[in-house]
Amino acid sequence: MSKYLDLGIKELHNKLVNKEIKPKDLVLEAFERIEANQDLNAFITLDKEGAIKRAEELENVESDSLYYGIPIAIKDNIVTKGLRTTCASHILDNFYPIYDATIIETIKNNNMIIIGKTNMDEFAMGSTSQTSYFGAPKNPWNKTKVSGGSSGGSAVCVSAGLVPFALGSDTGGSIRQPSSYCGIVGMKPTYGRVSRYGLIAFGSSLDQIGPMTKTVYDNALLLNLISGHDDKDLTSSRKPVDDYTRLIGKPIDGLKIGVPKFFMSEIVSDEVKSKVEEIIKLLEDNGAQIEYIDIDYIENAVTLYQIIAMGEASSNLARFDGIKYGFSKKDPEGIDDLYESTRGEGFGEEVKRRIMVGSYLLSGDNAKIYYNKALQIRNGIRESFLKAFEKYDLIIGPNATTTAYNLGEGLDDPLKTFLDDILVIPVNMAGLPGMNVPIGFGKDKLPIGLQIIGDEFEEAKMYQLASFIEEKLNLDLDPFKEVK
Amino acid sequence: MYTKTIGIEIHVELKTNTKIYSNSINGYGKTANSNVNVVDLGYPGTLPTLNDAVIRTALKAAIILNCDINKRMHFDRKNYFYPDLPKGYQITQAETPIGVNGYVDIDVNGETKRIRIHDIHIEEDTCKSIHYKHHSFLDFNRAGVPLVEIVTEADMHSAEEAMAYVEKLRELFLYADISDCKIEEGSMRCDVNISISKTDELGVRAEIKNIGSISSVGKAINREAARQEELLENGKEVTFATYRYDEKKDETIMMRVKEAGNDYRYFPEPDIPFVELDDEIIKEVTESIPMLASERRKIYVQRGISELNANKIIQNRDISDYLNNFLDTDINLVQASNLLLGDISAYLNKEEKSIFNTKLDTNKFIDVVNKLDKGEINSKVFKDILVDLMEKEDSVDEIISSKGIKIISDPEELKKIVLTILENNQNSVNDYKNGNERAIKFLMGQIMKETKGSANPELVNKLLEEELKK
Repeated sequence: MSKYLDLGIKELHNKLVNKEIKPKDLVLEAFERIEANQDLNAFITLDKEGAIKRAEELENVESDSLYYGIPIAIKDNIVTKGLRTTCASHILDNFYPIYDATIIETIKNNNMIIIGKTNMDEFAMGSTSQTSYFGAPKNPWNKTKVSGGSSGGSAVCVSAGLVPFALGSDTGGSIRQPSSYCGIVGMKPTYGRVSRYGLIAFGSSLDQIGPMTKTVYDNALLLNLISGHDDKDLTSSRKPVDDYTRLIGKPIDGLKIGVPKFFMSEIVSDEVKSKVEEIIKLLEDNGAQIEYIDIDYIENAVTLYQIIAMGEASSNLARFDGIKYGFSKKDPEGIDDLYESTRGEGFGEEVKRRIMVGSYLLSGDNAKIYYNKALQIRNGIRESFLKAFEKYDLIIGPNATTTAYNLGEGLDDPLKTFLDDILVIPVNMAGLPGMNVPIGFGKDKLPIGLQIIGDEFEEAKMYQLASFIEEKLNLDLDPFKEVK
Repeated sequence: MYTKTIGIEIHVELKTNTKIYSNSINGYGKTANSNVNVVDLGYPGTLPTLNDAVIRTALKAAIILNCDINKRMHFDRKNYFYPDLPKGYQITQAETPIGVNGYVDIDVNGETKRIRIHDIHIEEDTCKSIHYKHHSFLDFNRAGVPLVEIVTEADMHSAEEAMAYVEKLRELFLYADISDCKIEEGSMRCDVNISISKTDELGVRAEIKNIGSISSVGKAINREAARQEELLENGKEVTFATYRYDEKKDETIMMRVKEAGNDYRYFPEPDIPFVELDDEIIKEVTESIPMLASERRKIYVQRGISELNANKIIQNRDISDYLNNFLDTDINLVQASNLLLGDISAYLNKEEKSIFNTKLDTNKFIDVVNKLDKGEINSKVFKDILVDLMEKEDSVDEIISSKGIKIISDPEELKKIVLTILENNQNSVNDYKNGNERAIKFLMGQIMKETKGSANPELVNKLLEEELKK
């Protein structure tokens, strides 16, 4: 078995330009790996035929882009023209979009090759990917453990090296938390940095697409590709796109870093806490200044998230009514039966629960009591973060309170999934960029990750710190090392 | 004696090139589902954009309605399930309508009355549902067509006032290029809320939806008030409900009972950021408002056009715009307006044309009006050359000569004709001399007949008077 996919984008690019390898070699290698690891359940839909065809076409195309011929996996809530897009839901399990998301257009224009659509929590609602209609993906480090979620499939896919470059989405930690559980690099960019056009909405004011990769450098390269203003998304920023690799490899001495006390409180397990403390020590030894800080309302973030994300979701998912696309109840007895049966059978338990809670939260006076109030407090969190960034370059802490837990655990406790995200949700509330970089392993050889939070549009600085840690620790992040 | 209390909600489709939240053509009425894209269909992953022309047009409407402008406004989602609503919510404005606290002045029975506007807000239209046998079809061409909704306070107390308000709003929006306001085609839709009461306390109201014409607004109000009165007089109660008005039966028919506190779960639309309307945009839009109907009417009457004709001109926007080209030129405006309302309108109606799609350019019009005014041609000649005036590039003189029409303006030649006619109509000459002045008209007619209408009428008149006085 060839091992080109263990290389980074730059190295692959050089080999492709030198004609040492062809795009098709990479596609075939990806499918070899995927087929050998089907038990991981990382993908919902594969496009072997389309990917090979595209790779063959590219043999006659001059390489004009750094991304030419590089394979990529896409979370299944990002629409791909003609390629089934399910959101891991029965209600869309036969949905073939008639248009491409803006970032998919970008990916195609840069001659990247889409391998398939990755598994996830249904409509991105969950933190373990276990709410998927297609069954949960498995953590490559220990197949009895959860992958995290909701971008679990993308995290597994990258971690196991099936396709080492993937896109996820993050509404309340859905890129960072599975990245932490699976030991990869995952970035949730600043809200508005990446177009949401074509991302099937969950919580519109929180959703953001981001790259998931093995290395910090590749992550920054993918963010370079997908960032930018989009006329089709009014919430996308007009701020010019940075070169997110520009600070990678730069020394970190003099960097001022804040650690929210909440992030190191009793909610975090000892092994995670001590690993983060080791990193704090490492950074201090290398000239960074670390201080413990307070962020207002940070402990309320989960509650706010539940109100805002579920309120928005209850409205965003109203369009799945069996009339225009997707699953539709056959021969309904009238319009009410069409709605009730289509949605009753089409949506899974967690999605229905969130739609019901969200609908309740927006009903009558509740919108004022809960939703509007939540927006106010959310603004308070944001302001507190922004104030901290007047003094600090970056903020760090863990992404998850523990390492990955057992598959099946917590399924009967709807609140657990939210508490899993207690450390990642504040970043979505503030609209700031947050990322995961692996910093080691817990007692069961399960990955632990560090969360790095940046000021708005300061992703380059986050990559600077992440790459420093990556280089210093030089971890072996191949989950199959021992097996091989 | 019961007093009616009436409030009106009007939806108006805005005349923009594209839809409000997508770049589809705003072409409702074309082949079903031809002006539709993934945004209009509410496809998963799609997001709304915001058409700047909609904001400007709605702002214009808010200014004309004398509203306070919400300079920082946002959009809201109104959530409900219905097949004609592709996203499961309508993007509208609930909390920060573009305009609030406005008014419109109406004239009823010679008195001016002020109707307060509660608010004007921007929203999208739904699909059009078409029901056929046991099937329902959806036309998404209408989905996302921009609307403004204008909500009055309950300030009206009679059918006449309600009709005057609707007519006034229609006239304002038509003349400000906000909408074509065709009630019959649905580009303007009226919902009337009416209750009756004998005391200061308002009665239970009924909402009559989507009334099909301005006269039906009046009829529906009177019919519904009578129905409510009959109920109350018989000790029954009015049900808080939605009705429709059946014009043929002259009857209001209940569609659904209104549930108290209908729950639309409004919340701010997260996909559209706040819109800032700065003073510059407000100034620009204010300056773009064309001359409105009331001002046109005033000018026409000042320039000697009868009030009746002034109103007729106002009712035809194209004719009014055309006439306005000549406000600053040296022509007889009364003559001009008579032509426009008379033979020219008859021609345009027959041909189903706008005056702007004819060959009657402003120079030709000035020429022909002046020729009529000076008596160089008469109305018969005008009728003869009308079609050519409208359809040929040629000048008025060219058209007249090409028709073989010769205007006899030579006094010597005319005098001969006049004398011949007088000789052959001695009875009429005697009548005139005996004081019957009308006889001169008959003689004039005979001369015109003789010359096939080509005699210069002014000159003939002069010659006749001279000869008869001899």
